[in-house]
Amino acid sequence: MSILKVEDLVCGYDRRKPVVKGVSFEVGDGQFVGIVGPNGSGKTTLLRAVTGLIPAFHGTITVGKNRIDHLERRELARRIAFVPQLMEPVDGFTVEDLVLLGRTPYLGRFAFEGPEDYEAVKWAIQELKIEGLKERPTTELSGGEFQRVAIARALAQEPKVLLLDEPTSHLDIRYQVNICKLLRKLRSHRSIVATFHDLNLASRFCSRLILMKNGELVAQGTPDEVVTPENIWTAYRIKVSVRKNLRTQKARYVLLP
Amino acid sequence: MKRKYSKQQSLIAILVLTLVLLLAMALSLLLGSVMLSPAELFKSEIFWQLRLPRVILSALVGLLLAVPGVILQGVLRNPLADPYILGVSAGGGIGAAVAIAFGLSFTVFGMSPIPLLAFACSLLAVYVVYKLAEIGGKTVPETLVLAGVALSSFCAAVLSLIVVVTGNLQAIYFWLLGSLAAASWSNVLTVLPYALLGIGVAFFYSKELNALLLGEDMAQTLGVDVEQSRFVLIGAASLMTAAAVSVSGLIGFVGLIVPHWVRLLIGPNHRYLLPLSALSGMLLLVVADVLARTILSPQEVPIGIVMSLVGAPFFLYLLRRRRTEGR
Repeated sequence: MSILKVEDLVCGYDRRKPVVKGVSFEVGDGQFVGIVGPNGSGKTTLLRAVTGLIPAFHGTITVGKNRIDHLERRELARRIAFVPQLMEPVDGFTVEDLVLLGRTPYLGRFAFEGPEDYEAVKWAIQELKIEGLKERPTTELSGGEFQRVAIARALAQEPKVLLLDEPTSHLDIRYQVNICKLLRKLRSHRSIVATFHDLNLASRFCSRLILMKNGELVAQGTPDEVVTPENIWTAYRIKVSVRKNLRTQKARYVLLP
Repeated sequence: MKRKYSKQQSLIAILVLTLVLLLAMALSLLLGSVMLSPAELFKSEIFWQLRLPRVILSALVGLLLAVPGVILQGVLRNPLADPYILGVSAGGGIGAAVAIAFGLSFTVFGMSPIPLLAFACSLLAVYVVYKLAEIGGKTVPETLVLAGVALSSFCAAVLSLIVVVTGNLQAIYFWLLGSLAAASWSNVLTVLPYALLGIGVAFFYSKELNALLLGEDMAQTLGVDVEQSRFVLIGAASLMTAAAVSVSGLIGFVGLIVPHWVRLLIGPNHRYLLPLSALSGMLLLVVADVLARTILSPQEVPIGIVMSLVGAPFFLYLLRRRRTEGR
């Protein structure tokens, strides 16, 4: 069943020069979809439109049964959560305080956070395996630790769809794999859409890939269908051969000499 | 490392501060250039018509100066934002000066010309400074402060010009220095609604202020109407500043010192930051007013001078601390 449906989406920052030019795709329940493509291909802009941060010039975005522009802000925030590429720590906030901000769309005007809010925070913290960091000030964490905190905050929103912009690009390879494994595990609860720089990493962990160039789709499908020498030539203008990882059976590209 | 605060600690802090504030107010009522025994005090004009309204007014002005600091720092995501630094107070001062100098008297919705013009000019000042400091859709902390300083100087020049042109030196100079000497029951009644409304609005929006700690985009993905919240909150902050300026002139640094001090104690959660800053602002001004009245007794030092003597060094300390943190 599809949770998120994007139809013929045109969006950007200037109506005359859209960044995303007519993109359609669907994200099913429990899928982990990777959006890949060269710099400036419109990956981030696409994500920002899906979160409702920028309006669609044309086309529709549907989450569950409703178009996102027909949903009330708070209701949208309960369905879609966003982890930006760079989130800043909050001076004076502990990890738990920051994750608790994820409960904002559930809070009433004067109501303080209730037991169910703390329950959701506890669950998010457990899912990301950051129980040990709970009381630590957010300003004292390493990049990899803070990225997990940022994801936990989004998870505390209990969204149907979790969107992440380049969740691995500032991390060393240990944390890149660590974050991807956590995300793959999380998709049993909800659908995940993330942009990636590293095509092989995306191929290894995502259930589906969307390859973009200049705001248009080059290919979409399973990693095997998308990671082909032809598609990579179309999108990046580099010559590669594609091998199967012997243990995981996932397609990965190798640069040709 | 241990967390900086908890709900319980914050509630205890609120209770303790309230008690200290009441104590300070009581003390302030007893002290003054005329020493009276408690028995005489309750029967005297001095107590009912001078000291009591003055103590209450100083507390209200403290709230009206501290809370806009919290709001502006939150909305502009800038630890250096404060009505005085940003030139909002000075803008309001021009409004008040125009109303005094030209002896205007009219009412709009029950507001007299001094707070009304002070409010209009405060809003204009906020808009100008915010626009000046905006580079590519973002306000840069240092630019914001520079724009504020420039605007303050400009407003000071305009104020001087009004003084020269109208020859109304006495009344207008009083605004520039900041003083509570004109305290009266009617002044108390003028600012009381703004104090109640302002703290109410701020508290009403504390959830939004907390979400804005993550930046405007993140706040929006958390379901916050950023545009509307910013509009309402900056409006409330300007209104409160204007109300304070209209009765006490330009008293600086309260909105800077108080929120920073409270943040160091209990962290940036606005649910606790707002009430504690309001109480601390009240306490600070009540104490500063006692000093203003007693250090050179029987002569009175304008409270604005007392606050600047304490506030300016603290502001420099904050600037240095930011630099050593490398942010």
